Amino acid sequence: MIAQVSLGSSPLKQPLDNIHAYSILPRMIGHVDADCFYVSAERVRHRHLLGLPVGVLGNHGACIIAKSYEMKASGVGTGVPIWEAAKICPEGIYVKRDFRWYEVLSRKMLDVVKRHSPRVEFYSVDESFFQARSWTAKDASGLQRELIREVGVPVSVGIAPTKTLAKLISDSVKPFGYGVALTESARRELLEGLPVTEITGIAKRSAVKLASHGITTCDQLAAADRAFVRWLLTKRGEDLWWELNGTSVLPINVARPVHKFVSRGGSIGRASSDRQRVAAYVVRNVERLVEALDHYKLVCDQLTLSLLFRDAPERGQRVSLLGSTSGVEPLRQAALWLLPQVWQPPRAAVHYMHVIAGRLWPRWQSQPSLFDQPALRDPQQDTRTAALETVTQQVNASVGRFALRSGMTTPLADVHADPANEYDICDIYGKSCF
Amino acid sequence: MCKGISILKARLKQELFDEYELEKRIVARAESEQPELHFMYPDPVVELPVEWDGQTLIMEWGNRGNKESKLPRTGWCRKESLDAGKWRWLKPEPCIIPANFGLEKGVWFHIDEGLEGVVVRDEQDKPHVYMLTQAASVYYENMTRHERMPVLVGQVI
Repeated sequence: MIAQVSLGSSPLKQPLDNIHAYSILPRMIGHVDADCFYVSAERVRHRHLLGLPVGVLGNHGACIIAKSYEMKASGVGTGVPIWEAAKICPEGIYVKRDFRWYEVLSRKMLDVVKRHSPRVEFYSVDESFFQARSWTAKDASGLQRELIREVGVPVSVGIAPTKTLAKLISDSVKPFGYGVALTESARRELLEGLPVTEITGIAKRSAVKLASHGITTCDQLAAADRAFVRWLLTKRGEDLWWELNGTSVLPINVARPVHKFVSRGGSIGRASSDRQRVAAYVVRNVERLVEALDHYKLVCDQLTLSLLFRDAPERGQRVSLLGSTSGVEPLRQAALWLLPQVWQPPRAAVHYMHVIAGRLWPRWQSQPSLFDQPALRDPQQDTRTAALETVTQQVNASVGRFALRSGMTTPLADVHADPANEYDICDIYGKSCF
Repeated sequence: MCKGISILKARLKQELFDEYELEKRIVARAESEQPELHFMYPDPVVELPVEWDGQTLIMEWGNRGNKESKLPRTGWCRKESLDAGKWRWLKPEPCIIPANFGLEKGVWFHIDEGLEGVVVRDEQDKPHVYMLTQAASVYYENMTRHERMPVLVGQVI
């Protein structure tokens, strides 16, 4: 059974029935999902925003990245430019994003959930999965009330035998609802008529494939032949099939899975054809990438630069490095070498970029290159570079993140002037999802 | 720049409502339980709340239409002009314009505490407040499409 309740209202619409429908009760999994998290976080420190249509703006102040239910009701969607949103919802209040603050509340939420469970997955800034020690509706609502009392953020909670079902429940009972699916009938009720695109892991392309075989809803997918689903959507699809049918195959990841890639980048604001400005962004993203590699104690063997243009197709190119590294200098050189190769046609306006480290190794396990012989390089230059990187790290550790950065990034004085630009969603470490 | 501000009713003392007929400025936004007061430059009576000399007052906002007055005929003071000493002859005094929201080109943006302003006196020694402005940050310009922005107290947009 799925129950949707509001604060202060009675709990479940139906009593828990048939609790022993499963011959052996499976381990239950809970999913906590904050309701319009960024807006709720702003309301924690600005209580007067409660009840108002509020939109949180993204990194460049141009698009809505989160909106309150009041703003959503007026027709403003995520990703809408502010000049359109202001027309649709003239009473709306627009707030600049603050990922440092969102992380503070996110970790407080995580601490509360950890008090309830020995196994918690920090899934994303506003979501976590946990192994549910008890699984009544009262437990779900208790957790919900504890989170609003201690953190101030309203959440929706789903409890089910699998991660996929738990997430589907919390999504379907929003806002500030909770639900528990213990029984076979509750599972069927949850899935019936729910579009497959509601499942995390079924994106547009998979949905099109399924639709071409007449499968558009979760209940149809769950009822489909397992082998057929595997054939159509590979193992990932089969995993979801098991999960929809109540068998848990996706584990709770208490530690972040090992990285295959580490990437930094994103929008550069207004699209630019300015060589120096784009190169400055490349170097800035390399510095952020190096910081991330240092955090994870990783080195990389490959570097990819990917550029998205306003008026030309996306291009990317990868280069193998001369030995595993996480040093600023070799990665900066590699990225700047890639830049003219990728920037085609040369007059195209760049508006997105990603610098991606690949073939990652734990630092202690890295394999030196046969060609990376000190005798082949200028030892004095090596010493100078190493000394410079050490001093940079020490100054930044003491004064503040990126207090000292490459002179090549000076064309971004406007970006550096805003402290909020120094902390992005990807700087919140430990999440298992983005 | 900033064409107008909104402040929560709870931030202003009751005496001010009686003295300056502020009731007519009260508006309710959406489902909020907290009424606000709007102070817009195009209003018939051009005023702003001001924290100055240890108290909160309501002052005339700049000089919108008095050609006889020596005061600059605007509601805003460029910080660059102030820093360059161009307002020195008016003996400007710093003040804070308390506000919760600002309005620019149809966009309401959140204000944490307030805006910086200057108070100057006219020929009758009556104080007027001017809102300080500076070149807009990229973020503010994207948000409001205006190249100037108010100087915010303890806040970066």
